[in-house]
Amino acid sequence: MEAKELEPQKTPVKENEGFRKKTNNPDKKSSGKGPELKPGYFKSRKVKKRIANIFTTLILVAVSIVLLTPIYWMVITSLKPMSEIVQFPPTLFPDEIVWSNYAETIQAFPFFRYAFNTLIITVCVVVGSVLSNSFIAYGFAKISFPGRNLIFALVLATMMIPGFVTMIPQYILFTQLGWVGTYLPLIVPAFFGNAFFIFLMRQFYMSINNELIEAAKIDGASHFYIWSRIMLPLTKPALITIAIFSFNGAWNDFLGPLLYIHDESMYTLQIGLQTFQSQTTTQWNYLMAGSTMVLIPVVILFFVCQKYFIEGMDLTGGTKG
Amino acid sequence: MGGKIKVKKKTTMSMRRRESLWGLLFISPFIIGFTVFLLGPMLFSLIGSFTNYNITSRMDFIGFRNYEQMFTADRLFWTSLYNTLYYVAFIVPLTAVGAILMAVLLNQKIKGIKAFRTIFYLPAVLSGVAVYILWMQLLSPSTGLINTVLSWFQIQGPAWLFDPDWTKPALVIMRLWSIGGTMLLYLATLQNVPGQLYESAELDGANAFQRFWHITLPMITPIVFFDVVTTTIGAFQIFQEAYVMTESGTGGPANSLLFYNLHMWNKAFVAFDMGYAMAMSWILFIIILILTIINLKLAPRWVHYEGGQR
Amino acid sequence: MKRSFKPALLSLLIGTGAVLSACGGQGGVAENSGAGVPDEAVEIEFWTFWGSEQRRPVIEEIIADFNNMQDEIHVRHVYQPWGDIWTKSLAAVAAGNPPDVVIQDINTVRQRADANQAMNLQEFIDQEEEEVQERFYPHLWEAVVHEEDAYALPFNTDTQVLFYNKDLYEEAGLDPNSPPSTWDELEEYAKALDERDGDHWETIGFYPLWNLGPDIWALNADNGNTWFDEDGNVTIHTPEKVEALEWVVEWQERIGRDTINRYEAEFGDGMADPFISGLVAMRGQNINYYSSLKDNAGELNFGVAPLPEKESGSGHYSWGGGFVAEIPYGAENPEASWEFINYLTDQAPQEYWGLNGFDVMANMEANEALAEHPDLSDEGRMVYDLAHMNLDVTVLAPVPLDAPDYHSLLNPNIDEIMLGKVSPEEGLSQAQEAVEDLVEQNQQ
Repeated sequence: MEAKELEPQKTPVKENEGFRKKTNNPDKKSSGKGPELKPGYFKSRKVKKRIANIFTTLILVAVSIVLLTPIYWMVITSLKPMSEIVQFPPTLFPDEIVWSNYAETIQAFPFFRYAFNTLIITVCVVVGSVLSNSFIAYGFAKISFPGRNLIFALVLATMMIPGFVTMIPQYILFTQLGWVGTYLPLIVPAFFGNAFFIFLMRQFYMSINNELIEAAKIDGASHFYIWSRIMLPLTKPALITIAIFSFNGAWNDFLGPLLYIHDESMYTLQIGLQTFQSQTTTQWNYLMAGSTMVLIPVVILFFVCQKYFIEGMDLTGGTKG
Repeated sequence: MGGKIKVKKKTTMSMRRRESLWGLLFISPFIIGFTVFLLGPMLFSLIGSFTNYNITSRMDFIGFRNYEQMFTADRLFWTSLYNTLYYVAFIVPLTAVGAILMAVLLNQKIKGIKAFRTIFYLPAVLSGVAVYILWMQLLSPSTGLINTVLSWFQIQGPAWLFDPDWTKPALVIMRLWSIGGTMLLYLATLQNVPGQLYESAELDGANAFQRFWHITLPMITPIVFFDVVTTTIGAFQIFQEAYVMTESGTGGPANSLLFYNLHMWNKAFVAFDMGYAMAMSWILFIIILILTIINLKLAPRWVHYEGGQR
Repeated sequence: MKRSFKPALLSLLIGTGAVLSACGGQGGVAENSGAGVPDEAVEIEFWTFWGSEQRRPVIEEIIADFNNMQDEIHVRHVYQPWGDIWTKSLAAVAAGNPPDVVIQDINTVRQRADANQAMNLQEFIDQEEEEVQERFYPHLWEAVVHEEDAYALPFNTDTQVLFYNKDLYEEAGLDPNSPPSTWDELEEYAKALDERDGDHWETIGFYPLWNLGPDIWALNADNGNTWFDEDGNVTIHTPEKVEALEWVVEWQERIGRDTINRYEAEFGDGMADPFISGLVAMRGQNINYYSSLKDNAGELNFGVAPLPEKESGSGHYSWGGGFVAEIPYGAENPEASWEFINYLTDQAPQEYWGLNGFDVMANMEANEALAEHPDLSDEGRMVYDLAHMNLDVTVLAPVPLDAPDYHSLLNPNIDEIMLGKVSPEEGLSQAQEAVEDLVEQNQQ
């Protein structure tokens, strides 16, 4: 109602589009030709927008500072000598920067070997998660069959049982399969879907219009074709999200490798980091240096993956238009 | 005439059957994985909940005694349930609101937005003991950052992890710090909201809040729903934070951080009373299940699916 | 965009198969670095949590010595993370596929013996010519015996003592060579060492609950009796323990709860060390804190003493812990495993471990030798000398079989006492009742 009342004062459609084009908005490919503009109005909108942007940036900077504080603490601790870490009160900036903490951390356990092991597991898990969950969720979201809701309830139910009580029976199961001591217990389950991801993907599929599927069906496409050719590209932001989540999960997993790997040469980074903690002392400098190094690949991955968010958006618009 | 109708019926029947087969094919990996990896352990824990199973030497049937003991004799069961419900009640709404706000902020076209997104996501990546140690420093009553900031506004901050009334809020704040993961879900969904919608609304004179309320929010309700359901499930299972921050699971000052799963862990791996822990896990299962069913029943009233409810 | 997606997907699918088979294949490559295994030798797997750069070389040297001195048994060391090592070995025992030897906590040996997680060693012990138990301090041996059979061999141990800063003693006009011997003296010394400027403390002489639990003061006051007596009766609510907690509360009132919380928050995470920084002049602490002082304290001039006793003659009772070598139930080669743990607790390896790792050992002769060892510094010898003496008055608190998780009932009551919500009398009597309930439930 309110919006309608305001309408008379508003600018015509095309003028607005012209403005958007000029600001180079990437998500909107304007088709109309730039019409005549009233320069005064244009300017005030631009200023308004700029002020809003500055305001948003300020908020973002403020929140970023808060979010980064613990990480700052981690990084400076990783650069202090142990004798400075134990000082009281703690120093806000290292008196003496000890880069060698990093070199020593790498030497304290076979860092690169463990990094490689972690990477193998992680890559397998990411591939398995992305494929299996998008596949399974398509069945739950876009095909109707008897018992679907019941089975979906079962999917959700698997999330509700605390892991501790199934941990021991599961360990016994993997022992009987002869998988203990290999990476199989860590990797294979990822290829059979995970409730959290299935649910997530289902929600994404549900927000995609069915017209597309109906149209493809009329053209004689099978569900497999629709899933692999239409849905996978359409849900790229969701797939990337799953990839990031499962990467993060597998990369940081501690309990899984701890339980199932018996050979030190097959250990992962998270287990390696534990060597700095013992019953009496913790070597904070190494622990923090190690944690920082473990964090870096995930940050890089995330930074790189972001562009797919934007691309996914373009694609959606493209297919729909 | 009649014959023709019959034929038509047959084709729809076979089409429906084909459709069902496709459906089963698509969900078959889950069915297989569930049967092989989960069904056995879950049944085992259900059976175990009626025994005095201690993992290694005994597993005698004792009927409902574990369940009985939980509700009548175990003082800490109620403490742990209360602590957990308290945590869930704060975490679920705060996570949703916080993550949506963050995602909307990060969905702007601003210089350096990629860096901001990374920073906002960063806390979700950090895991393990290091994080909790860092937080113990931030929450320090006198020199911690949080109380220092509060003191700028003339507020005397609480003793956080040392005061039983403030330990749970401290954990809530800590959890909110790392909602970057949830934020990511919303950010990914916001990408699917067609830009045209905003433009036409803007032309209609809708302000930023109206645009958010009438366009953005309905479009992201499927993920809000997802978030509420999964965060509820996750929050009920809070464990690691409390385990690390209370000296190996002792429960914090006056047991104020003895969460359900922590109590369960102590029963299972300190007392080796795994049968009892299994019974506890099924009670938790029922609690979460009821809440999830309520969520599912309420969903059609507010969740908007572009693809329709098929 | 669409076109490029399909090959990517395909290559992913193929890649997955390849990687998967690679992952599976990795399991076969099992041998650790190091010496080859003699052909007929029995290989045994030994799990420890000693993975740090200080400890790993020491244990691996001991293992190498063992492997070299005979050729029937070859021990392979596998590091497992501290704490989690026991979850893992529990799972392995449950699955019937345990390692051969695991380093375990001494206070839970009986619990594991009772639940069939550890192997009964009595048969092996009886076959030895030597009296195996004579090696160890009696209180340690007692903890590994369940229903008259031994289930583990003690490896190392510890005890709680008083560390004090000699320089601060001199500044306060106290004699650095005569540390406090009774609770009254402790208080007197602490007051002399206190130095405050309004809310800001330059030095806090002593606070009993920093680095020590109330358990220790309670048993120190109560003739060395822990929360349970020998027959498993609950002894939480005793007059001596009430007095001990009243005494602790007095300290808290004198220094101020806010001050304590404030400082505790600063170093409670184990990073900053207030003793090294000189904020705290005396600190009750596990004796193995010495190794941290040795590495990080620089020029700090410190002394060690037994914990003060409640009053003259009541006894300097202290509390200890430690680790044992255990053969999990279901291990494949118990004879070979026994040979190894028997060696591990012998004097020579024990002495070597102590010399390089600064642990108090379970083997009495090893500690005696270390107290006079020429390769140790004066301070090092002083620590071993004190440790050996202090173990006479050190008690263990093995987990009671009828109430293994009693802590979660006792601790909140003690917390409430410290928060001033209930008196020590009330708090301990409530705890007594709650724990008795638990015992009753578990005895059903």
